[in-house]
Amino acid sequence: MNIIPWLSKREDRLGTASPENAVARFRNEMDHLFERFFTDPFGPPMDRGQSLFGPRVDLAESDNEITVKAELPGINPKDVDLRVEGNVLMIRGEKKQEKEEQRRNYHYVERQYGSFQRSIPLPTGVDPDKVEAAYKDGVLTVTMAKRPDAKARRITVKTA
Amino acid sequence: MVSDITTQERRELPVTRAERTREGRTYVPNCDIIERESELVILADLPGVRAEDVDVNFERGMLTIQGRVDRSRESGRTFMHQEYGVGDFYRTFEIGEGIESSKIEAELKDGVLTLHLPKSEAIRPRKIAVRTR
Repeated sequence: MNIIPWLSKREDRLGTASPENAVARFRNEMDHLFERFFTDPFGPPMDRGQSLFGPRVDLAESDNEITVKAELPGINPKDVDLRVEGNVLMIRGEKKQEKEEQRRNYHYVERQYGSFQRSIPLPTGVDPDKVEAAYKDGVLTVTMAKRPDAKARRITVKTA
Repeated sequence: MVSDITTQERRELPVTRAERTREGRTYVPNCDIIERESELVILADLPGVRAEDVDVNFERGMLTIQGRVDRSRESGRTFMHQEYGVGDFYRTFEIGEGIESSKIEAELKDGVLTLHLPKSEAIRPRKIAVRTR
């Protein structure tokens, strides 16, 4: 099984892992990261008894910033743990059920509860001191300033 | 361990079922329905929807939830990776007899819509006191 579900659907892109192909690069980085993370026995503990879900995320880039949005309806922002480590943004937390209900009283259960976690490889380096997060209408938005050396520069071609 | 992490796909509403008046996609919100003694509670995930953009309608036994998402905020950025297309939400439930439609209440908080549908007196379970003589 693929670690990252959104990539499994884009199998065709795997073969085109040119340095220009950002998606393929993400994939490689992500795979590396997960391999390291899950084979490291001293890594953060995870409760196996609970279900773990990955919120859906969007990643967008502008000239100076990288923005990650995650759909997390109905959480308490205090229960979110955000971290930037190197070129990876880690979103972790727990979505608590507001009120404990008896199982038999549920007619539909489609919404997800429990722990969530997502590691998002970033396309460029970001300044860890310039990360801002806001939670509004069930969407978590993380805005990260690109490191100055990561911004696009125009390179002049000299003639000999 | 790895396979424990699942990212649910957003369910898109087939075009034939949604009457489109706006462009873009329409998604089916994930819902929980809980039955309590005196009411039915529907919880619907509507991330990115503001309270003023939610419409809840109850007509002829059909409860319709509609949420509009403001797309204008997305301009000026290049998406590197998109898992959830920005789109509206739409879902209909057929509600059986015995709901007091005039007393349906709705609230939206942190992207979760909570609907309280009180049961009418007739179908509420009642405890009948047994008298002794």
